[in-house]
Amino acid sequence: MKLTRRQFTIGTLIAAGTAGMPVFAKAQGKKTIAVLFDGLYSPFWVAGLDALKQDLTKRGYEMVQAISDKDDNRQFEQVRAMLARKVDGIIIVQTDSNAVIPAIKAANDAKVPMVHFNRPPAKTDAFSVAVVADNRKITNATVEHMVKVAREQGGKYKAAILIGNLGDPNAIGRRDGFFDVVDKNKDIIDVVARIPTEWNADVAFAGLTNAFQANPDINFLFTSSDFLFPQIVQVMKTRNKFHQIGQKDHVIFGGFDGDATAYELLKDKYLDADGVQDLFKEAELAVNAIVDLQGGKTVERVLLDPGFAIHQANMAEVRDRMWGYSIYKQKNG
Amino acid sequence: MIATSIAGEARPSGPRRLLRHLLFSEYLVLYLSLAYFLAVLPFVPQMASAEVMRNILSDMLPLLVVAIGQTFVLIVAGIDLSVTSIIAMASVVGASVMTGDGGYLADSALAVPGAMIAMVLVGLAIGAFNGFCVNRLGMPPFIVTLTTMMFFSGAAIWFTTFHTETSSIANLPHGFVVLGQGNLGGVPHALWVVAAVGIAAHLVLARSVLGRRLYACGQNRRAAAVSGVPVGRVIAAAFLISGACAAVASILYTGRLQTGTPILGQTILLDIIGAVVIGGTSLFGGKGKVLWTVFGVLFLVLIDTSLKMLGLSLFSVFAIKGCVILLAAVIDAVRTRYAARF
Repeated sequence: MKLTRRQFTIGTLIAAGTAGMPVFAKAQGKKTIAVLFDGLYSPFWVAGLDALKQDLTKRGYEMVQAISDKDDNRQFEQVRAMLARKVDGIIIVQTDSNAVIPAIKAANDAKVPMVHFNRPPAKTDAFSVAVVADNRKITNATVEHMVKVAREQGGKYKAAILIGNLGDPNAIGRRDGFFDVVDKNKDIIDVVARIPTEWNADVAFAGLTNAFQANPDINFLFTSSDFLFPQIVQVMKTRNKFHQIGQKDHVIFGGFDGDATAYELLKDKYLDADGVQDLFKEAELAVNAIVDLQGGKTVERVLLDPGFAIHQANMAEVRDRMWGYSIYKQKNG
Repeated sequence: MIATSIAGEARPSGPRRLLRHLLFSEYLVLYLSLAYFLAVLPFVPQMASAEVMRNILSDMLPLLVVAIGQTFVLIVAGIDLSVTSIIAMASVVGASVMTGDGGYLADSALAVPGAMIAMVLVGLAIGAFNGFCVNRLGMPPFIVTLTTMMFFSGAAIWFTTFHTETSSIANLPHGFVVLGQGNLGGVPHALWVVAAVGIAAHLVLARSVLGRRLYACGQNRRAAAVSGVPVGRVIAAAFLISGACAAVASILYTGRLQTGTPILGQTILLDIIGAVVIGGTSLFGGKGKVLWTVFGVLFLVLIDTSLKMLGLSLFSVFAIKGCVILLAAVIDAVRTRYAARF
């Protein structure tokens, strides 16, 4: 049988369309939520993506994910692609709080609810919901415990803080939370190093090395994120500053996030306190917000995760709420 | 036996003729794009919707402008790695001029034109610097543009810190934003800008003395010089055009995101060069067309869009994108090999 070119073309198009029908039909059956992250650069974000996936699956949603690799334009394109795919909601972690605004407007135009996970957008008329940790309050609690330890030990302290990317409101909250407390305790704490990290481990490593070279007597250290622990521990070991609680030359040490490394350091008595974002609660709040918005309910623009500080005194009681402890348990049985 | 063989080569069969036609056609990448589109349609039926078509078109536009500039540099056997930093630098400089949050020309009627002129000047200045180093100092384009990329990527962040407490400059005027985002009857405003740049670039390459000189420099620089082509000035012109195109792309990207950001375009360098090379422009110079670059950009944006809509994990996206681009490169290599044989 001879086939003309036209017949061949029409046949191919029909075959392609028919093959697409099952996929299309499947897409109709289940509600779909797009989860768009800017990167999976630290255990916090990996665990966050996992927590969202579990929560969505439990509620019978299909999840589609995309990573923008810290590219604002790509993330905007991803949002539009998801809107074209007719998703029922979008949970997003944006790189830049200003550059995400066109994406929020696009979602508003398409009447698709958008929830920001752990990072709020800049002020805008466009509507979206942000689930954020109360960074300042959690940091207050963490640093207050560090100061309590310092007062109990007595003496004067030279402090250093590793600050995150100040384009990220979370980094600003943590920085301000740290200074709220140390400024009230200037009689014993003098902040000698403010180390910008841009949320970059290499930058943090270099900055902390320089800080210890300039101030070898730093004995009070706070990092705005736990994902910098490996670099910090490396620098402290090199400078002979990595000692357990109770040992001479122990640096009073605190962090923020609540990851598995933080739990190990707490357990091994190297870390005094850690601010914990309640990741599971944040995932639940984000999915609840999407469900409520879909159901036409009113949802506050900002949903706060109060979080908590874990330290040597309360570790046994609160560690089950620490997401890093869950990961630690999975790894170590 | 010999007679049969000769007769066989002289009159190839229908499918072989079609294959040869496809393989040697300058529309090969367009055909590949169509084939890819049909192949992914069963998995992403929404690809055929008007909304996705519009997205593909608007996603292509800024990438196409910067890729057209890169085409000029590749034709003279150069490479411009600094285009991403030009995009970033122009973005924050332009935003600092027109932002309502204390911009140099805030709330003035001159804010938008002033900012756009500043952005193009940034592109021209960096392009001129690249051209000067390659032309006058005899430095390799790879090293020159690599260092300017590093310098201006850092400078853009540094510049931003003087103008805002956050990591980006927002509150840009509506008149500017509409250029990157607005559309009339579904046709994006940016299309007119890109069409103007594309037609001008095509005319320069295909119909002007400068175009012929660009190809001559790319094919054999020494022969071009002996023939009276001012090689230095021609190469400098290629870098200047590339810088200006990157600045125009920056205008479109910045308008689209309503924000001047120092990390704008930092991850698209491979897309830019990949699109131009997949289109058929040679990395060794002397060969390239604006139309080919259009096809290359279309191909890459199609892949990107389909993978975005599939919602695959980051690792799968990288792997699939790499495989598809590799396949396109293999087809190009096979084509070149057969072209040499026939």
